[in-house]
Parts: sequence; structure tokens; C-alpha cells
Amino acid sequence: MSPNYLLKRLLMIFYTLFVVSLIVFAITQVLPADAAVMMLGEHATPEALDALRQTMGLNAPVWVQYGHWLWALLQGDFGTSLRTGQPIGPAMFSALGRSLLLAFLSIGLMLILAIPLGIIAAIRRGKVADIVVSLISYLGVALPEFVTATVAVLLLADWLKWLPPTGYVSPTEDFFGAIAHLILPVCVISVILIAHVSRMVRSELVDVLHTDYIRAARLKGMSRGTVLRRHALRNALLPTITIVALDVGYLLGGVIVVEEIFAIPGIGRELIVAIQARDLPVIQAGVLIMAATYSIVNFIADMLYAVLDKRIQYD
Amino acid sequence: MIEFLKRLLRTPQGAIGLFVVVLVLLIVIFGPMLAPNDPEKMAPLARYKAPSLTYLLGTDQYGRDIFSRLLIGARATVVMAVLATIIGTLVGALIGTTSAFLGGRADEFIMRTVDAVMSIPSLLFALLVVNLLGSSTVNALVAVAIAFAPGMARITRSVALSVRKQDYVNAAMARGESSAFIIRREMLPNVVAPIIVEMTIRISFAIMLFATLSFLGLGAQPPAAEWGLMVSEARRYMHLSAGILIWPSVAIAIASIGFNLLGDGLRDALNPRT
Amino acid sequence: MTSTPEMPVLDIKNYSLDYETANGTFHALKGINLSISRGEILGLVGESGSGKTSLAWSIMRYLSKNARETSGEILLGAKNLLTMSDAEVEAMRGQRISMVFQDPSTSLNPTLSLGTQLSEVLVRHRGLTRKQAWAEGEAMLAHVGLKTPADMMRRMPHEASGGEKQRVVIASAFACNPECIIFDEPTTALDVITSRQILDLFVELQAETGVASLYISHDLALVSRTASRVAVIRRGEIVEQGPVQDIFANPREAYTRELCAAVPNPSRRLVADGVTKTEGEPLVRVENVSVHYGRKPLLASLTGKAFTRVKGNNAVTLSVNEGEILGIVGESGSGKSTLAKAMTGLNPFEGKIWFDGRPITGLSDMDTAYRKDVQIIFQHPDASLNPRHKIGEILSRPLKLYGDGSNIAQQVGDMLEKVRLPRTHADRYPHQLSGGEKQRVAIARAFASKPRLVICDEITSALDVSVQASIVELLLDLQKAGNTAYLFITHDLNLIRQIAHRIAVMYRGDLIEIAPATEIDSPERADYTRRLIAAVPLPAGSQV
Repeated sequence: MSPNYLLKRLLMIFYTLFVVSLIVFAITQVLPADAAVMMLGEHATPEALDALRQTMGLNAPVWVQYGHWLWALLQGDFGTSLRTGQPIGPAMFSALGRSLLLAFLSIGLMLILAIPLGIIAAIRRGKVADIVVSLISYLGVALPEFVTATVAVLLLADWLKWLPPTGYVSPTEDFFGAIAHLILPVCVISVILIAHVSRMVRSELVDVLHTDYIRAARLKGMSRGTVLRRHALRNALLPTITIVALDVGYLLGGVIVVEEIFAIPGIGRELIVAIQARDLPVIQAGVLIMAATYSIVNFIADMLYAVLDKRIQYD
Repeated sequence: MIEFLKRLLRTPQGAIGLFVVVLVLLIVIFGPMLAPNDPEKMAPLARYKAPSLTYLLGTDQYGRDIFSRLLIGARATVVMAVLATIIGTLVGALIGTTSAFLGGRADEFIMRTVDAVMSIPSLLFALLVVNLLGSSTVNALVAVAIAFAPGMARITRSVALSVRKQDYVNAAMARGESSAFIIRREMLPNVVAPIIVEMTIRISFAIMLFATLSFLGLGAQPPAAEWGLMVSEARRYMHLSAGILIWPSVAIAIASIGFNLLGDGLRDALNPRT
Repeated sequence: MTSTPEMPVLDIKNYSLDYETANGTFHALKGINLSISRGEILGLVGESGSGKTSLAWSIMRYLSKNARETSGEILLGAKNLLTMSDAEVEAMRGQRISMVFQDPSTSLNPTLSLGTQLSEVLVRHRGLTRKQAWAEGEAMLAHVGLKTPADMMRRMPHEASGGEKQRVVIASAFACNPECIIFDEPTTALDVITSRQILDLFVELQAETGVASLYISHDLALVSRTASRVAVIRRGEIVEQGPVQDIFANPREAYTRELCAAVPNPSRRLVADGVTKTEGEPLVRVENVSVHYGRKPLLASLTGKAFTRVKGNNAVTLSVNEGEILGIVGESGSGKSTLAKAMTGLNPFEGKIWFDGRPITGLSDMDTAYRKDVQIIFQHPDASLNPRHKIGEILSRPLKLYGDGSNIAQQVGDMLEKVRLPRTHADRYPHQLSGGEKQRVAIARAFASKPRLVICDEITSALDVSVQASIVELLLDLQKAGNTAYLFITHDLNLIRQIAHRIAVMYRGDLIEIAPATEIDSPERADYTRRLIAAVPLPAGSQV
């Protein structure tokens, strides 16, 4: 990996965040919500509103407001919530921590299940195992999170009473309680990812198994198992890194729904509450943090890929 | 056309997908005529009924016929998803082709911007846009279309670039054909096939996205018979009757699987090599 | 020991192979009888689809699921391979029979080092430890002529050249001292000079070990120079087999004769010399044309570091006279196609092109008149004909662009007849035509505007020899009929020496020299030209 590639990818993160900040700011500007009205209530006098607008800088031209907002942002100041009057930064980051816990557990579960499923389907291509896996994956990608979540709660929490239906427990306070509360959300988020990734692993591996070098290895007298382990898996699993990283975008969407359904105080729930309350600074901060998470994950994935796959000469 | 259908029906994905999609489309068109009961009619005495001959799939929390509601709701969910995907695809295809055709720095700038937009999860993007424009079906449509455009732009561009490298395009350029001719007659017919495949698969995503928006209260509004909304409303009553939750879920899954399978079938059928 | 000197190492008796396809049974191999003894090289020659590769898979026991072996046996020593268990087959492969593949860039795993891929054979079949195998591997790489074996063992495939990789593949084929080795077109994917070196290595190792070798190739000239016996295969049947001299000197079968006649032979010139020595201006003069690729990387532009762009062409100057065939030869990456693209406006270039006294400095100078006079034909007709257009539509475009556009159907039919295709082909799609037919359509398209210069970019290299011969014949007829000049780009030296008036030799973007075709093998030629000429095997029976 050349320093050029690294630099280019780093610049891309900044560009991404810049574009996202523009979009978010533009959207929140068009929102039919007046921050001053929100803070003082519907019955405030026009004079009071005007005074507040003046102090908040709301009367300045849009690009000046954007400049102020961006400048504060660069200094780590996300602003204050219109709804709670509290600074946004600390609340958002502790919410992000809870969401990331959920996301990482889901990715972990997905990798544990999706990769073996994909491998089995590929090596048993056209056989029963392959058909079963592909049926599971077709069903998996067709069920939105809110459906799986609702059905899972009905089945495992309401009827069987094996797991708590909703809520969040901090793992530092009650570890086993936290696990019990996380099982359902993690499973729900993983379903679509497992379905998608196992299908991608299958098709990558099928492609690799048809290459000349796999045939050459077999014709050198290597057994099927050795060829699979040593020659095929490595090459087939490398692209999975990129696929998983791109799926993180989808995963973050899933996190929003799942946090809402299971009442987990993560960043997704913060965002939904903010969107419903039209709490502009919180929306701005939340979307930006989401986009940053996605960009950073993809940056790491690209670096990992470049390091693991020495073939590709990046410029 | 006949030959193409044969190719499509050769794979199980294509055959099942086509069957399901045609069935769903028939329901979209004829659903309201086929509905045995008035989907809006509430019957306080007939709440949470189990499936019977009168109510094929039972009744919901207000005593409305679930089967009739599903038949009517197909329009809201499926038509919107198809429309939104088509609009998103057209916008994306336009951006993608332009970018591929311009090439160089302009291409890089457009694609980096598209990447940046894609870093906002589609669901979040749709939530923001709906919130901006107000919760309604049409606004949800616009939201999903905008959310899909960047992804389609990316795919269109990569397909267009690979077609642009083909010698038949080089031959046309060496012959002195106009850019418009090259794009329209040489490139477009070869770019369209993979985009149709991708679009079909995305319709199933759109169905799910619409349902999710309605579920979160930002799409269709009660008492509409939108499938996602039906699941959302059923949540509070699911202890009393699982059917009101299960049936709309099944409907969403079937429609989504159908488009997914059809997309995979089309991929094989449109590939000239197989 | 089972194999005595009299007994062949590999003996194929009345072997037949079918493939079950959706369109019925396909007979891939019919009653094949072949045998190879120790120390012998049997050349197996055939065109694409003749079944030569199917035979290799049969011997290696690597058959697809739809394959049915309907008769015969394949004996390795006394053992019939058809009755072997899977475990026996695995033990045999690489140990008793090994194989060298066509393209070393695809037959080596891109993510494993060359050493790993070589030593795993030794670990598998000779029971060495990994450490022993690695040391042994180094010794072997030295043996196959690699200068820095220890370093080469550690390299990844993408860090080695095509020739180096093929040497590693050959080393692993010879690793376990097998009784028999199958060489499946081992030099086809390599450049001329490299391919000669690989061939020399093969001959040397074969003589040293005496391994029974089956050398599969489409190239008669090459086989005639390496093999001791030759078998000609066509549509799954052995047409003729025997000692090389007999087959080439007096072939018995008509097909073998055709095949021999189709092989390009420099001593059989197909154009008259001297007719194009015209006075005055040449038709085209390429003057100091350079082409560069690539853009300055970001970091370089930020730090102000100097950046050298990749050179495609470096100040190339040459000219083509009216009605002349100028051949351009060179290895891959020598810039011959880059020049063709520059001349047709597909690559931006620096320098000047004079066409019929008119200066062309860039794309904007290439107007309809220029386009009409300068046409290009590409290597792969599959790629150069739009798969979604009918032949009639493809051929109508130049008529509409350059002609009066009247009576299109009639004109398209005439064009098809001119390239000896039936008029009814106008209603077909490209994929319904054979490779040769498609190339004829591409030729018809180029000649529709009655051009004065046609650039042929490797237009026969994707075709079989017999098809190539008929395409070349067509091109020469068209050239005589219209006094068209050709810029004929190819890597096939024997072919170009047959048909060109003058030959330009290119190397890494530079034009080395231009010489009359009849004098290209003179000792006064440049060093690189002489190496190129020396590397190409001439067909048996031709005068060197």
C-alpha cells in the first residue's frame, strides 16, 4: 500500500463528512421548524423571539450560520439540544457507544454464521445443503427488521417467556441481564446480514473454485480439502471484507429500527426522537456521526484489504 | 420475447419469481375488486376472529377483514415501491452515465460525492426527507427514490464504463459517430440489461423500506391498509391475536422474495453467455 | 518395474468420450489410439474444439460431471487409469503424470508465494518436510534457469514475469520425476522471445530426464520443431499420426495437407514486391507521434515530486505508401496497438500525422473525409461487433455515415458477398456466427467506405490457422482490388513476412527499425530484430 493511497482515502473521509454536513445543514434549514419558537414555546412574544434569534445567529445569512456551525463542530462542539437544553456531544457519544456494542455483536454473530453457511453452500453446489442455504438467504433478505423483531418478541418473549421483551441494561451493572436483553436485538439485526453475506461468500467461492489455479492445484495431486483450505478460502474470503464494510450502511439503518422497537437508548433512538421533535442540532450531529462511523469502517476495511491482498498496486 | 420468457423460466428463481411477481401485480390491479369485505368497515362484535369462510385470514383489532385489507394494501406498498425504484433508477442512471461519459476529474468528483451521500444509511436518509416534506405516501415515495439514486448511479457508472471500453464502442468512435449516437445506440442497449436486474432486486428493498417507514409512523397514515402500517398497529394487540401481525408480515415477505427471485432469474436470462 | 523400453509409458486405446449437454450428446473424442514411450515427445495438433484439451483432462482424470467415457482404456504402465479410485488418482497426479498449463498468470494462485506453490508438491508426493521441500525447491528453480532462486521462492506471482512464472510451473511439473508430462500450449500466452526460451528449456529438460511428453498445440510450425512424432486431431478423431518428417513432407490426409498449407511460411511470399515504390508523397506519414498514459498521483502533485507518465509511443515516425502493406511487429506492450489507436483518434497523441498531404494534429482534425479514408479492424470480432445489433444494422452504419444511404439492404447484401458471406446473414446476430464469419463482417464494415488505409490490429490472432489463411487471402484480394494500403499489426512474424512489403519493429514504445520484408532476416538488422527473428520457429520443410 502506497502512502498515496492512504492519503487519498483519508482525504475521502473528510470530503465525505464535508458533503454530509452540507446535506444535513441544507435539510435542517428547509425543515419548517423555527429553533426560537421551539425554545420559547408557541406563545412567546415576537420581540422575545427576535431577540433570541439575534443571539442564536438565526438572522444571519445561511452560509454564515453554516460557517459558525462547522467551526464549532471542528472544535468538538456539537451545540445544545433544543429539546433538553443539554449539550449534545456527551449524550450522543454515550448513545453511540451502546449502538456500537449492538453493531459489533451483530457483525460478530453474522460472521460466525454467514461464512460457514456460504462455504457449505459453495462446496455442496446444487445439492440439498446449497438449496437450504439459499432458501434461508432468500427468506432472510425479504424480512424487514421490524417484522422479524415483532415476531421474535411475540414468540420468544411473550409466549415462551425465555427472554425479556424490550429494554436495555448496561453490561457494567448487570452483565447477564445485559446479555439477555441484547440477544433478541442482535439476532434481529443479523438476519438480513447473514442472508446477504452468506450469499456473497457462496458466489465468491464458487467463482474461485472455477479458476485455473484451483484446477492446477488439483492436478498437482492436492486433495480437495487442502485445495479448499489453502488455495480457495483465502481468496474467496478477502472480498468479504469489502462486502461487510458496505453492509455497515444497511446495518446502521437496522440499528435505528431495532433500537426503536427494543427501546435501546442508542444513537438510532436519539435520532428518531430528535426527528419527531424536530430537534435540529441533534439531527445534524446524529447524521454526521452515523456517516462518520460508516466512512471510518470503510476506511479500515480498505486498509485491511490493501494489506492482506498484496496483488493490487494502489496508486 | 417468447425466447426470452423461455430462458427466464429455465431457472427455478426465474420461474418462481415471475409467478410471484405476476400474482402480486394481479392483486395490485384486481385486489379491490376481489376483496370479499369492506376493508375499512369496523365491526366491534367481530374483533380478533380466527380465519373462517367469511374472514379468510380472520379479523383485526377493529373487526376489519385482514384478507381484504391485504388485497387493498398491495397497491399502497407495491405500487409505491415500484414507482420509487423506477424514479430512483432513472435519476441514478442519468448521474452514472453522465459521470462515466465525462470521465477524468469530473467523473471522480461526481463519484466521490455519490460515495459521500451513500454514507448516510438509506433508511435515515428517507426518514430525514419524509420529515422535511411531511409524512405522507407521496413524500415517502420521493424519499425512497432519492435514497436509491446514489447506489444506482454507482452501478450504472461501472456498467457504462465497462461497455465504453468495448471495441464496438471504439469502432463507432473511429468511424466518427456522434456522441449521442454512441450513447444511445451502441452503449444504452448493453447498459440497460444489468440495470434492470439491479432495479428488480431493489424493488424488494423498496417494499421493505416503505413498510419500515410506515411502521415508524412516517409513511402511510391510519386507517390506510398499508402492510407495514398494519404490522405496526398490530403490535399492541399481538397478544390477543397473532394473525393480525403474521399475515401482513407474510405479505411483505412474499412480495419482497418474489422481486428478489425475479431479479436473479433475469440476471441469468439476460446474460448472453449462458 | 512395469515399463520396459518396448512398452509405452502412456497408451491410449480406442478411447471415446461423450459430453451430455442440453442439446443432446456431444462426441468429444472418438476411438483415440495414441501411445508415448519413454524419451519421446508426441505433438498433438488440432484447432479449437478439436478435442485436444478434452484428451488432456481424460488422462489427468479431471472430467466434468456430464462426461461419459464410452469405450477404451488409458494405460499408464500396466495400470488402467479409468479404473483408478479417487485416492489413487490424487496420488498419481503430480507424481506419475504432471501437467504444464497454458497461462502461468492464471494457473498460479495469486495469493501464495511461488515457493509455497512449488514446495507443496514436494511435501505431498515426496514426503519431505516443509523445510526440506523449500531447499529442494530452490535447487529446482536454479535448475530451470532462474538466476536468483532463493529470492524467486519468496516472490508472489504478480512480482514475477510471465517467463519466470512459467519456469516455476515447469519446475513443479518436473518436481517428482514423473513418467509422463502433458504440456498444454505452454508458450501460447507468452511473448515471442520468452516463448522460445521456455521451449528451449523444455527440450533440454526433456532430453535430460527422458520423460514421455505429450505436447498439445495449435501451432504446427512449433510442433514440427520440437516433437518426434505428431498426431493431428480434428473433431475428436485422430486424422493422421506418424514421424514429424513424414507428416509434413507428405501428408496423406487432405485435412493435414490443408493445415500444413495454412501455416504461414515466410519463404512463400503472398504479395508481389517492388510495386509500391512510388515517387512523391506517401499516403500517410506519422511524424514524431508520442502517446502517454496516466495522470499525476495526488501525493506527487502535492509534494511537487517529478512524475514520469507511462509511455505508450515514443516519437514514432513512419510512413505508408498508397497500396502498400506495412507490417508492425512487436511483443505485447510494445506500443503497436497504441499507434493504431492514435491514428484513429482513440488515443490523444503528440506529434503530427500527414494524411494525403493534410496535417492531422488531433481528434478535431479527423473529419468525415479522414474517417472515411482510414478504417480500423480490431482483434476480437466478438468485442468489436455490438452483440445487440443485427449484422445488417452493423453494416448499414458506414453506408449511412459516408455513403448516400440509398438502397441500404441491397448494398449490405453486396458487402456480405464481397467478403464471401451469404446475403441472408444480414438478419443474424453476431453470436449466431462463427469467429471467422464475424471477422469477415468486421472486414466488410471497414471496407464499406472504400478506404485508402485500413489498420488491422491483430485481426487474425484469435482465429485458427485455417480460418486465418482464408481471412488473409480475402484481405489480399481486397487490397489488390482497391489498391488499399494496410497497416498490419501482428505478433506473428511468419505471417507478416509472407504478406507485408515492409516491416516495422517496435519495442517498448520505440520504433526500432523499418526494413523491407524480404530483408528482415538479414544479419545487418538491429540486435532486437535479429533476436525476434531467431526466436520464431519456422515450419518444418521451409528454408531457413
